[in-house]
Amino acid sequence: MDRLVKFREIFLAFRIDSIDTEIEDLLQTGLSSPELLQACQKCMEEIGKKFEEGAYFLPELVMAGEMFKKVSARLRPHISPGSEEVAGKIVLGTPKGDLHSLGKDIFGMLAEASGFVVHNLGVDVAPETFVEKLKETGAPILGMSALITTAFDPMQEVVRLLEEEGIRERTYVIIGGGVTTKDMVGRLKVDAQTWDAYEGLRIVQSFMDEKEETK
Amino acid sequence: MSQKKIYEKDRLTAEERLEAVIRLEQPDRVPLSMMIYNYSPFHAKVKASDYVHKPSVYLKAIRQVYEDIGPWDIYYNINPVSKLTYSFVMMMRLLYPGDDLPENVMTQIEEFEYMQPEDYDQILQMKSNLANNVFRARMLPRFCKETEGLGPIRLRSKLALGFLKQGLFWIRDQRWWREQGLVIQIGYQAEMPIDMFSMARTVIPFSMDLFQRPEKIREAAMKLSPSFADWSIRIARYTRIPRVQCYCHRTSNNFISPRQFEELAFPSMEEIVCRIIDAGITPILHCDGDWMKNLKVLRRLPAKKIILQLDGLTDIFRAKDEIGDHMCLFGDVPAEKLVMGSPQEVDEYCHRLITEVGRGGGFILAAGCEIPYNAKSENLRAMVQSVYKYGYY
Repeated sequence: MDRLVKFREIFLAFRIDSIDTEIEDLLQTGLSSPELLQACQKCMEEIGKKFEEGAYFLPELVMAGEMFKKVSARLRPHISPGSEEVAGKIVLGTPKGDLHSLGKDIFGMLAEASGFVVHNLGVDVAPETFVEKLKETGAPILGMSALITTAFDPMQEVVRLLEEEGIRERTYVIIGGGVTTKDMVGRLKVDAQTWDAYEGLRIVQSFMDEKEETK
Repeated sequence: MSQKKIYEKDRLTAEERLEAVIRLEQPDRVPLSMMIYNYSPFHAKVKASDYVHKPSVYLKAIRQVYEDIGPWDIYYNINPVSKLTYSFVMMMRLLYPGDDLPENVMTQIEEFEYMQPEDYDQILQMKSNLANNVFRARMLPRFCKETEGLGPIRLRSKLALGFLKQGLFWIRDQRWWREQGLVIQIGYQAEMPIDMFSMARTVIPFSMDLFQRPEKIREAAMKLSPSFADWSIRIARYTRIPRVQCYCHRTSNNFISPRQFEELAFPSMEEIVCRIIDAGITPILHCDGDWMKNLKVLRRLPAKKIILQLDGLTDIFRAKDEIGDHMCLFGDVPAEKLVMGSPQEVDEYCHRLITEVGRGGGFILAAGCEIPYNAKSENLRAMVQSVYKYGYY
C-alpha cells in the first residue's frame, strides 16, 4: 500500500523520533489501527530476518522493539479485544536468585511483536509462581532466562513441579541466557535452549506449529 | 619472584610460565588460573556476608580452597576488601550479601540508568589528564550508597582511603600466594570506557545512543582513555604486578555490531592497550560474550603482548585459529559444566582445550569467566588435575 511506504522507510531506518508523527498522519488518512499494526509487524519480521542473517545485531533489535512499543501503545487501545490473532501465550521470567532481566525482556518484546501474549513475571521468580501463572493463563510455553548458575536449581524445581502438577506434558519449556548451554536440555529435561532472542522466537513459533499439528 | 615450583616435574616457576605464554612461547606446562572469588565462601562454609565484609574470613576461605583443591599457577585476585574501590573500578551498583541481599548468597550487580546523554558532553569538556577519575568520581554518588550525600572533597578522601585500604590488603594477601609459588594475575582492573557507558546508560538507552549520538560515544571514550591507561599503569606499578585487567563486558557481538565495535569501541581500546603495553605492562582483555566477529580487528593490537580471556560464548577453538598466533588465550571451561557436569566431562573438556588451544603454547587454562559458587568441588579437582595429566609439553 503506497501510504505505508514512508512508514516502512522510517521504521526500517530506525527513525524513532519520526514514528509518532507518521502514525498520526496515517491515521488521519483513514488507515485503520489493525492495518497499521500489521505493517509494523511486517517491519519487525524484516528486521528479525536481517538479525538471523547476521546483518543486524542487538542495537537494531532494541531500536525496532522500542519503535514497536510506541506504535503498539498508540494503536492497541483502538483495536477491539479479541480481534487480533494471537500466536500463543508465554509465561516468562528469571528464576529465583538471579536478578538479570535483559535477555528475557528482549525475547519478550520480540514475541509480543510477533503476536504472542507474554506474561513477564520479572526477575527472582519463585518456582511456584511460574507454575501458578501457567495454570492461571493456560499458557503452553514457559521461558526461563539466566545469567548466573544460581538459577539452575530453581529451573530444575520448576520442571519437577510441572510434573507434579501434571502439566509438564502440555507445557513447552525453553531456557536461555549466557550461562545456559545445549547440554542443559537433557540435564534439566527441558525442550530447548538458546543464547539468541530471535532464535528463541523461532523455537516458540515451532512449538506452536507442533501444537497445531498434534491437535 | 618466588622460585618455588608448583609441581616437582615443573621446569619453570609460575611467573616464568605465565610470561612465556604471554609471549606465545611454549612453556614446560599449560598454566592454570582459578577464579574462585565467588566459589570460596560456599566451599569453606563461611557466611557470604562475613566473607565480603571481614578480610580475615576472606583470607581463611580462599586459602582453604587452595589447600583443598590446589595447586594451580595463577592467583586470580578478585579480592575487593573495599566495596567503594570495587564500585569505582567496575562502575556498577554492587549488591552485597548481608547489605542488600540475604546473608548467604553471592554478590550480584543491579543495572540501572545512572548516566544521561548530557554526561557525554560533560566528559568532552574535561581535561584529558584527569577525565577518567573525575568522571568516575562524579558518577559514584548516583549508584553507590557508600558515597551518597558526600561533597567532592569528602568523596575524594573516602576514595583515597579506600584505595589505600585495598592496596594494603592486596599486598598482605599476595604474600601468602607468592609463598605457595603462585603468580598474581591482576595489578589493577577496571571496566573499559564504552563498556562502562553501556552499563551506566543500560542497554536500551545505550542502543539508542549508538544510533542517535555515535560520535559522542566514540569521542567521550577517547577522552577517558589516556587517563584510564595512566591510572592503571600507576596502580599496577604500586602493586608491583605488571598486568592490568580491562573488562569488556558490553562490546561483544552480543551487544554491539562488529562495525560499531571497530568504529566506536576499538579506537579507545587501542589507545588504552598500547599505552599500557608501552609502560611494560600486559593488558588482560576480559571479553565476555561472543567476540568471534571482532577478532580480526583485535589483530591490529600489538602481537605477543596481550592475554585474551574468553568466557565460553566465543568459540575458543576457532579463536585459536583466528588469533592464537597473536594473543595468549585464556579460558574457558563453561560454568554449566562445573555445576552440572561430571568430573569425567570436565576432564575431557580440559583435555581438549589443552590439546587444541594449548597447541604450541600461548594458552592459560581457566574457567569461562568465574567459577560459580555452586560448582562441584570434584569438578574443580578434575580441572586442576588436567594440567598435570595432559598439560606438559
